[in-house]
Amino acid sequence: MSDYIVEMKHITKRFPGIVANDNVSIGIKKGEIFALLGENGAGKSTLMSMLGGMYEPDEGDIYIRGEKVQISSPNHAAKLNIGMVHQHFKLVSDYTITENIILGVEPVKKLAGIFPYVDIRSANRKIEELSKSFGLEVDPTKKISDLTVSMQQRVEILKVLYREADILIFDEPTAVLTPQEIDFLLGIIEGLRNGGKTIILITHKLEEIKKVADRCAVLNKGKLIDVLDVKETSTRKMAQLMVGREVNLKSDKNPAAFKEEVLKVEHLNVKNEDGFEVVKDVSFTIKSGEIFAIAGVADNGQVEIADAIAGLTKVSGGEILLNGKDITNESIRKRTEAGISYIPEDRQSFGLVLDFDLSTNLALKQYYREPFAKKGILNKEEFEQFGSSLIDKYDIRSGQGIKTQVRSMSGGNQQKTIIGREIELQSSLMIFVQPTRGVDIGAIENIHKMMIKERDQGRAILLVSLELDEIMNVADTIGVIYNGQLQKIASSESLTTNEVGEYMMGAKHE
Amino acid sequence: MDTIIIDGLSFALPLFIIAIGGIYSEKSGITNLALEGFQGFGAFIGALSAVLMANASGTDIQNLFYVALLFSMIGGMGFSIIHAVLCIKFKADQVISGVVINILALALTTFLTAQINSFVFGTASDKFQLGVSDRFTIEGLANIPVIGAVFTNVYPFEVIIIVIALFAWYLLYKTKFGMRLRASGENPHSVDAAGVDVAKTRFSAVLISGLLSGLGGMCFAYSISANFSSNIYMGYGFLAIAALIFGNWRILPTLAACLLFGFAKSGGAFIAQSMALPSSFTDLFMILPYVLTLLLLIFFSKSNRAPRALGEIYDKGKR
Amino acid sequence: MSKVKRKNNAKNNLIRPIRDEKWQPVTIPLVAILISFIAAAIVILIIGKNPIQAFYNLLQGAGILPKPSYAGYKSMLTDFLSLLNAMTPLVFASLAVAVAFKAGLFNIGVSGQMLVSGFLATILVGYSGLDAIIAKPLVLVIGMTAGGLMGGLVGWLKYKFNINEVVSTIMLNYIAQYVISFFIQMYYIDPVSRQSQYISEAARLTLVNVEMANLKMDLPLGFILAIFTAVFLKFFMDKTVVGFEIKAVGSSRNAAKYAGMNVGRNTVLAMVISGGLAGLAGVTYYLGYFASIQPKVLSSIGFDSIAVSLLGNSHPIGVIFSSFLVSIIEQGSTYMSSQAGIRQEISSVIVGLILLFSACGAYLKHKVSSLKDKELDQKESES
Repeated sequence: MSDYIVEMKHITKRFPGIVANDNVSIGIKKGEIFALLGENGAGKSTLMSMLGGMYEPDEGDIYIRGEKVQISSPNHAAKLNIGMVHQHFKLVSDYTITENIILGVEPVKKLAGIFPYVDIRSANRKIEELSKSFGLEVDPTKKISDLTVSMQQRVEILKVLYREADILIFDEPTAVLTPQEIDFLLGIIEGLRNGGKTIILITHKLEEIKKVADRCAVLNKGKLIDVLDVKETSTRKMAQLMVGREVNLKSDKNPAAFKEEVLKVEHLNVKNEDGFEVVKDVSFTIKSGEIFAIAGVADNGQVEIADAIAGLTKVSGGEILLNGKDITNESIRKRTEAGISYIPEDRQSFGLVLDFDLSTNLALKQYYREPFAKKGILNKEEFEQFGSSLIDKYDIRSGQGIKTQVRSMSGGNQQKTIIGREIELQSSLMIFVQPTRGVDIGAIENIHKMMIKERDQGRAILLVSLELDEIMNVADTIGVIYNGQLQKIASSESLTTNEVGEYMMGAKHE
Repeated sequence: MDTIIIDGLSFALPLFIIAIGGIYSEKSGITNLALEGFQGFGAFIGALSAVLMANASGTDIQNLFYVALLFSMIGGMGFSIIHAVLCIKFKADQVISGVVINILALALTTFLTAQINSFVFGTASDKFQLGVSDRFTIEGLANIPVIGAVFTNVYPFEVIIIVIALFAWYLLYKTKFGMRLRASGENPHSVDAAGVDVAKTRFSAVLISGLLSGLGGMCFAYSISANFSSNIYMGYGFLAIAALIFGNWRILPTLAACLLFGFAKSGGAFIAQSMALPSSFTDLFMILPYVLTLLLLIFFSKSNRAPRALGEIYDKGKR
Repeated sequence: MSKVKRKNNAKNNLIRPIRDEKWQPVTIPLVAILISFIAAAIVILIIGKNPIQAFYNLLQGAGILPKPSYAGYKSMLTDFLSLLNAMTPLVFASLAVAVAFKAGLFNIGVSGQMLVSGFLATILVGYSGLDAIIAKPLVLVIGMTAGGLMGGLVGWLKYKFNINEVVSTIMLNYIAQYVISFFIQMYYIDPVSRQSQYISEAARLTLVNVEMANLKMDLPLGFILAIFTAVFLKFFMDKTVVGFEIKAVGSSRNAAKYAGMNVGRNTVLAMVISGGLAGLAGVTYYLGYFASIQPKVLSSIGFDSIAVSLLGNSHPIGVIFSSFLVSIIEQGSTYMSSQAGIRQEISSVIVGLILLFSACGAYLKHKVSSLKDKELDQKESES
């Protein structure tokens, strides 16, 4: 019997068009923290999904505790005491913590010996005990919708522990957390390991691996590059192996040269659909040649600020001025024409009409005016010419050129389509919301370069991002938001990552 | 006054049970505009089995009421398989599927009723005669002023519906099946991640909606229409949908909405009758429930919250 | 491995006719029609009749194939003209459904909108004694306006109050049906026919019993208008800014809003156009094909038009072809029923089946593309 608790041998998994894992073999020892390092699309999540029962490998074998297994479903994985903490939480927001944790493994009692019912009360008690014993205190009767992101993650972890997993897979667990929350989480992970659990950590963040992992496998484009002992390997070496070349994650940029004021937001208030105030008395300005970034944990009102400026959400109080003109109550169209470009967070549902072709999507903001339309009649040739020129200019790749249905394009190329279209508008203000989410590292570099280039050409740029690294990297000025209020506005040089993290949690006030 | 309550209840309760069917389907995430077709097809199968059995055994068709109820549930459930397969297996648009099923139910049952009448009974009729189910009155309770009407001239199916409704509430909110069903309509990914088959859960939810709708349709056929014909398609299924929307996809408030419809209908009929208006005026009062539906929708549609994943096609393999 | 391959090959042969994505809008409906007729044939066999004969009778009744004998003044041509006469409102109604579809809306209130516009045109012009030259255009205008207003109401309710248009149109259908039945029975009833009184010939959109070449034929003037309307709609949806916006709103309300389009205005506008077309269907039906209104009855055209529109892929020109087919089924069924002894109601069943299989079209499409992906994979792994 081998000393590995998990062994994956010669695993290959294909999806239409791509080979996600190509003959990958890894072995994980009991009681270690084993990290999987790689870029977006390197095949880390796919590999682990096969361990979690979401997919089955096309070729290769999996051994758990020395026995060959075919993990056919998440249920089966749970029976093998494997649990996965997903990157995108899989929680029912209307349900309580307990209801979410027991879903699928509900304890059942019988009323009057006939009618089975779900025994919530004893489950509540059990979860309370469980959460205390692992240092993950929660109130099991609270609803998910009332929880912060990091609390929701606790619920995901408890879900796995409740199912008595001793092999825990964490899929990019720190992506949406503040530095302080990350430290806490890494502490929990170490605690779990010390308690005898085996941990697999999927991440692309080198510092985390350096901090907690024992060993680390590096994946690139579906292939296993190497398995390293973390203590004996430098961060630089790991980064090189991960990307396959030298990367410069720090963007080179010239010192900012601020000019005239472009955007002025004064005492902005925004209510959500339920009438709850999500943006409270927010004021800031952005100058020409400035990248202003809003940092914050997810759902703290930053997206609503961007939507309010672009006109997608109604404002309940305050003023928005663009180049000195009040646009608070203008239509979206008028704002676009006044000089706002917007790269939205949800590119598939907002940024693109997925059923339309590429050229149409590239002209989505200009279709109604000359030269695209004259007297209400569209000029298709103009669409095609414009589309072709943008495809070249922004290196947008697609199967059938400008006639390609946007739905069939890759996420990175969809994003290029949007960014290209928005840059072409030549607006004085550009809003980027989460522009690099879900695109690979090469594309991230590219997007950052484009943002800086536009800044240098004198545009004002508003960046909303959950990735603190990105903000520290690109922004000239940082505004930190917590609970709908701007906690701090300062130049990026004057703030450390940790300070920003404290403001993000509302722990520090000015 | 008493007639308003008696007739109102006998209209509201079948509507209520159809609406509960709709709640099951929609809570699981499947939009269900096919209730109208389910109730009609269920009633058709129920009526058909009663007519055939009465013919074969010579029993009075009144006595076959419970048989008809049973078969109507089977019929409604069987027909609902189409909606389930189309929406879940074939991933068709759920709204289109619902409308298609309604049209198909109307066409099929009209054709089959006429065909069977001429084949089996040799009559050229487009309906199955059923008569009105027997009623009972609980002596004593019936003498209480106003409320007594609730216990007067009660159809047996009203009692059956209330019992089933109670059970439906228990199943939806207290059992693990119900917990999984409701989660499927809110966030199917969470259900899938918990190792529960979303497709199966939704499939059973749609079948339950077919079963309950069939029952509701049969009750209408055995009471206000006294027969089965294409007149069963009076928009009851759509009234039920409206009721569950006001009821915010919850069982008790939905009952209130159904009662409102019921009393609007019986109240309208009562006014028309007591004012001794010519018969064409009843047409004007017939629109009351429909107008009320529209008005209530105007007030409630925006504030009420549908299940989050309602109408979304769930694709497990989606990356 | 080879077994899997063989199975795949068999599957490929089955789907070969519908493989080409470019032709799928045509091939998939054809497959749906084929399956429906096979299903209908089975039903006919079960009731002990000959399906081939039945379908042959269907075509004879519709004026596509010659009947063995004709009554005086009648011929295959007059039958065919009757088919066009019956088809005219169906084309309008189906275009109404199609336009709404493009905007992401489901107008199943076509029959109610038809009834209201037909009724208003009947009482305002049909009983007026105006000259044909004024009356006929006026009928069209009133039909369009009434239908458009009713459709617009639905669009407004949808946008303003988030009321599902399927529910609101059904409610309006019932309300229209009862209210108009009330007025007809109170004021406009013909005691003999139990329908509304006949309208004047001048207001009628179909010229009836026109004598020509020893035949008496019905000339549906609306038919030409219907064809023109379809061609215009194609242009409107493909080439104009407004059509573009309606399609964008239909494909993605969020993206349309983000792109600066007025989602509410486009929703209402699409329903006004849809309702207006339904209004034209109403007047060509109640003041063309018929000359009176039967109280308390909604025309089945409202439902047939959903089948036609789905079958024609909501494409204006496709709709012409699919209405032709559905009209043949509906129109030929009377003759089929008298000749083959099959109940006329089977025509609705066939239409219902076509509808059912058309609804599966998306699945077929999805299946084909996923099979293609698999093939691509295989090729890749082999090379």
